[in-house]
Amino acid sequence: MSLSASIALGRRKTGERPGSRRLRRAETLTGWAFVTPATVVIGLFGAAPIIWSLIMSFQQSDQLSSSTPFVGLHNYRQMVHDPAVTSAIWHTLIYTALFVPGTMVLGLFLAVAMNRKLRFMWVYRTAAYATMAISTISEALVFIWLFDPSYGIVNYVFSLLHIPQQQFLNSPSEALYVVVVMTIWGWSGFAVVIYLAALQGIPQDLTEAAAIDGAGRWTSFWRITMPLLSPASLFLAVWLTINALQLFDEVYLSTQGGPLGATTVLVYYLYQQAFENFNFGYASAIAYLLFIVILVVTAIQFRVGRRFTYYRS
Amino acid sequence: MGTYRLRAAVCCALAMTVVTGLAACGSGSEATGNSKSIQIWEGYTGVEAKVFAHMIAGYEKSHPGVKVNTLYVNSDNTLQKVQTAVAGGAPPDLAYLYGSWAPNVAKISSVVTLTNLVKQSSVNWNDFWVGERDVATVGARVIGMPALVDNLAVVYNKTLFAKAHLPLPGPDWTWSQFTADAKKLTIPSIKQFGTAYVTPGSEDTVWHWEALLWAAGGQILNSDNTKAAFDSTAGLTALDTLRTMAVTDHSMYLDPTDSAYANVFNSGKVGMLVTGPWDLSGFPNVKYGVQVMPSFPGTTAGHQTISGPDNWVVFNNGASRVKAAEDFLLWLTAPAQDKYFTLKTGNLPTRQSTANAPGYQSEMNAALPDVSTFITNLGNVKQARPQVASYPQISQVIGTMIVAVLLNKQQPKAALDAAAAKVNQILAGSG
Repeated sequence: MSLSASIALGRRKTGERPGSRRLRRAETLTGWAFVTPATVVIGLFGAAPIIWSLIMSFQQSDQLSSSTPFVGLHNYRQMVHDPAVTSAIWHTLIYTALFVPGTMVLGLFLAVAMNRKLRFMWVYRTAAYATMAISTISEALVFIWLFDPSYGIVNYVFSLLHIPQQQFLNSPSEALYVVVVMTIWGWSGFAVVIYLAALQGIPQDLTEAAAIDGAGRWTSFWRITMPLLSPASLFLAVWLTINALQLFDEVYLSTQGGPLGATTVLVYYLYQQAFENFNFGYASAIAYLLFIVILVVTAIQFRVGRRFTYYRS
Repeated sequence: MGTYRLRAAVCCALAMTVVTGLAACGSGSEATGNSKSIQIWEGYTGVEAKVFAHMIAGYEKSHPGVKVNTLYVNSDNTLQKVQTAVAGGAPPDLAYLYGSWAPNVAKISSVVTLTNLVKQSSVNWNDFWVGERDVATVGARVIGMPALVDNLAVVYNKTLFAKAHLPLPGPDWTWSQFTADAKKLTIPSIKQFGTAYVTPGSEDTVWHWEALLWAAGGQILNSDNTKAAFDSTAGLTALDTLRTMAVTDHSMYLDPTDSAYANVFNSGKVGMLVTGPWDLSGFPNVKYGVQVMPSFPGTTAGHQTISGPDNWVVFNNGASRVKAAEDFLLWLTAPAQDKYFTLKTGNLPTRQSTANAPGYQSEMNAALPDVSTFITNLGNVKQARPQVASYPQISQVIGTMIVAVLLNKQQPKAALDAAAAKVNQILAGSG
């Protein structure tokens, strides 16, 4: 019915039929009626907390006592002078700078390796994606043991290769990198699926034409495959960056921000402030800082990415 | 005709919206109807959950007309959820809350003061261990009743002691004996350590050290909780003791994740472990013994240890429900229920009279070998951690100090001074 109604409306731009306005209003109402439930839910559980935490970032609030004095920009000013925030930002940026390219390169490598007709390929593909399906807690537990300085397999392999024994999670200079390795492993499956889908969308005739023109496999990969994968790469870069800047689970489950704050990333610090120290106002201010960081980084990625992204259509 | 169908669709969708909205607000309205119905938030799992449910069924039977509703909440998150429920105007009537939260819990306006309740002679308040009473009291106000008590003692591997031809730890042992034993129990070639320590820098790192601090005669803060007091000779002794094992002797397995140490001990790779009764059931592969904490000779502090009791806290949902919740709480914490619950679960008794009841300790030992040492060790709990709202921040500073020393990133004296300065800042309100 709505289809025929809109066709009717489209035909008669001038001199509308007397009933059509009523019909259009009814249609608008239907539209609203259908989106209202979702809008209410999103408003209640999405928008309201966002606005509320913005208000809270201007308050001194412990969420315990009912007094929440308005402190203006105090929380934001405190953030500027808090060395823990500075180092948390650093840890977050270092982590992101390693995690995002690491995951994309590993994901691309695995996807290219799996983009061929081999027996039991579905087994390899399932195995690759399984890293995504495994819960973070099991992942963290396994990595804790792999990287245990005394009993871990990694140090055992190192000893066989005559590489000096490492302290890993016990060392403030190494722990963050262990978290990077852990999360790259966990997210690589996701990158594989995205790249594999994109690779299968590349028309064979293009690579064949390149081969006829004398392009080797390497040239064809760089000149044909990579540009055609660029939309997938942009999507992964944006998606993984947003996730990296919000890193929490793996840190909470493995190092709890330690040793000596070496793995305290922004979200973990925010969590400590809110739920351990009951500084909800300060934590909300940090959350808004993070929001702005993510907004800026994503905007830059889209800006820069558009230049290098090739859309076939 | 089309408009009618449209209207029907609009009505339908709007009705759905209303229903969704009502469902979101529904949880609070149900509880207000019956004044004899109370809501409890607890974090019991496994055996504890079964025993607790059985006890509640018994209570409802003996108190006709009273309905006790329980809701499982992971204890780690209960305060967060209580905060949300209080903000929404529908807190539970009774909640199981960690003792370390007490000073912050006291700030919640709907928390019911139990000071007069526990004064009733039938409660016999002094029958609870002093460590429990201290944690349930903020300032002069009692905000909860003991829900659980534990303490730290030394669990040791008897087989490893025999292999090293070492005498087993005795009740009069000292920290220098502990250190020497740890050194002798360490065999690097087979990756065997004398002892272990958790180093995430969390409160678990901190309270282990605080036991040493108290045993050395020190204090965490001064008597009116306005300044740091741990930067003392006792603090240095406590820190040096741990440093000797971690840095000098390499006899200490450091566990930065707080999750590996128990498995390592159960695999027979660690000689001695300072831990609580909750870990005992995780050591089926080890022939273990339990001994009280060592002492520092020359101090009067003896074999002091630390306890981390938890509280039952009552919230105000109107006089009649407060009364119903208090009645239930008094029943739950009475000697008979304490004895029943601990015998069935292996938890330590919250009342001294339970611990001293004839035959009780041997019955406990039958279920969990040597748990009686933890029970008698409750007598070595002489004080509680400072009941100040900023304790979580103070704990983070002390945690960082301990880890810095154990990882050999800082010397004990410098670490103590730096930490004390930071704690003083926090206490002055500028941290």
